[in-house]
Amino acid sequence: MPLIEMREALRQAIDEEMERDSKVFILGEEVGEYNGAYKVTKGLLDKWGPGRVLDTPIAELGFAGLAIGAAMTGLRPIVEFMSFNFSFVGADQIISNAAKMYYMSGERFSVPIVFRGPNGAAAQVSSQHSHCVEAIYAHFPGLIVVAPSNAYDGKGLLKSAIRCNNPVLVLESELDYGTKGEVPEKEYLVPLGKAKVVQEGNDLTLISHGRAFNLCKKVVEELDLSIELIDLRTIKPLDIPTLIKSVQKTHRCVIVEEGHSFAGVASEVGFQLAEFCFDYLDAPIGRVCQRETPMPYNRGLELETLPNARRIKEKIYEVLR
Amino acid sequence: MTEQFFSTHPNLSRKEFVAKALEEIGADQALEALRQMYLIRHLETRGEAAYQHGKIGGFYHAYSGQEAIQVAAVQAIGVDNWWTTTYRCHALALLLGESPDAIMAELYGKVTGVAKGRGGSMHLYAKTMLGGFGIVGGHLPIATGAAFSAKYLKEKRISVCFLGDGAVAQGAFHESLNLAALWELPVLFVIENNQWGMGTHVQRAIAFDRMAESQAPSYGIKGYTLNGMDYFGCYTAFKEIAKEVHQNKPVLVECICERFKGHSISDPGLYRSKSELEEAQKKDPILLLSQVLKDAKIVTDAEIAEIDHQAKAVVMEALKFADESKEPSLATLEEGVYAPD
Repeated sequence: MPLIEMREALRQAIDEEMERDSKVFILGEEVGEYNGAYKVTKGLLDKWGPGRVLDTPIAELGFAGLAIGAAMTGLRPIVEFMSFNFSFVGADQIISNAAKMYYMSGERFSVPIVFRGPNGAAAQVSSQHSHCVEAIYAHFPGLIVVAPSNAYDGKGLLKSAIRCNNPVLVLESELDYGTKGEVPEKEYLVPLGKAKVVQEGNDLTLISHGRAFNLCKKVVEELDLSIELIDLRTIKPLDIPTLIKSVQKTHRCVIVEEGHSFAGVASEVGFQLAEFCFDYLDAPIGRVCQRETPMPYNRGLELETLPNARRIKEKIYEVLR
Repeated sequence: MTEQFFSTHPNLSRKEFVAKALEEIGADQALEALRQMYLIRHLETRGEAAYQHGKIGGFYHAYSGQEAIQVAAVQAIGVDNWWTTTYRCHALALLLGESPDAIMAELYGKVTGVAKGRGGSMHLYAKTMLGGFGIVGGHLPIATGAAFSAKYLKEKRISVCFLGDGAVAQGAFHESLNLAALWELPVLFVIENNQWGMGTHVQRAIAFDRMAESQAPSYGIKGYTLNGMDYFGCYTAFKEIAKEVHQNKPVLVECICERFKGHSISDPGLYRSKSELEEAQKKDPILLLSQVLKDAKIVTDAEIAEIDHQAKAVVMEALKFADESKEPSLATLEEGVYAPD
């Protein structure tokens, strides 16, 4: 199986879906002539032309809303946010229009649209460029939120997202665009809403998603413990049956999330597990999240506010005690 | 590139202009406009009364006083285009083909309403109406996107977006106009300047007069000012302007008009004196149109009384329909959050 970078896997997904359906197009800042701020859209302008690969002005509210309007009237737009931090400028469009439209209109207008781009921390880009947005957007009924941790899932989830008749946010990571993974040459899809048990184990269930999942994987390799490792892949809708099944087996659980702890993904996953697995738990559920600070610029401080290997190990031992 | 005020003509008297417009529109269509305006007025008046009786909840923003604009626009431009408007959306849904029954039922929150009782007063829809939108200015990018679709799919339709004067202060206004002009999209933005953003007069909110004429040139597009109380001026202008928009040239229009009621039903309008309101009501678009049609011997006072009577009867029927319709079943609460595959 070919070993390709995450950015190439995502590019293949976009390219294949543009081939498959003429109503699919991509727009965003620098997606065309610049070939993408992170080169995910490399070569697409040359191949598909300026009618389907559109460079936008720096106006997230305007182009996110334009794309939602296009989705309501027969097209299937892919909106690239250069960073999901900038989606906040267009958040009213995503929340008030995309998320609510199908329900609010009595099912008359659906919004088949993908918003994608890097989410979370990069390397020392400080407070305004390091948000994790999954908990914020997953809060709203009507949105679907996915966060692939590897190239295989990246391609398969993005293809499913483009074919979905609802607004889907595909959260990538700037630091993972160059990470290689095995991706089949033959076409495949990864279904929305399905978590993956990446490694089976009996002592503890470790749940994470996105870039933080890869950190968890590394930590597990360093520990001589039988840990069941689960990649959420989709944040919303949450694949709670897979998580319940695991925790009923291991009786202990730690959730790792790059975003903040307060009302985060870990809070939701942990609460649902407490609801459904209360009698099976042998210890309180643990979580490791970004600490309650804006992202500091300083490298040492940055590594300390983010979930790191030390904090994850400490939490695992605490829950196993 | 600013353009003339359209309810007059540089070379014609008002009388000559109206005669020419009436010839173009035709007696039947002008009479239909009068019927629609009466229907809208009765629907709003009765809707407000139903609200006072506790039959309608939430907000209620009446279109009373502004009827000439959307009646003329839909007639001149045609239903089969994309339409968007603000939360003051009852008239547009009616003009685009939703029945008075289904509109009233939506206001009542009933399952027979245009949005199954989920949207309410601010969120009405029709086959070509993408909504009543609840966030000031939030629908301008949506309308721009509908125009993008029309161009992308090579459809012969344009997108028409009504907004209030208050929305001109929003960032979405600038971003949408910039994108529409930059990408040459077939979208017509119509500012209905009823002079009040809720209770704040336009002069205390917007730094410039003649919003369309003053702002359009900065985007390299055309801007026009219309008398929004005058059906004939609006019709002829929209007819001409739509031709430009069909050539992928976005246009910005300002219709100066009067809102006869408060911003919403809960607004007693204390910021406006009684004499100011009376002055505004003298410009009633229904009176204006009626007078022209009477002068042209197209209609008599007795026939107008009959139109009025029939419109009222239709609305009374709609109230009955809404009242007798079923509430949405509680079992359906969580249906329709996501579209099926």
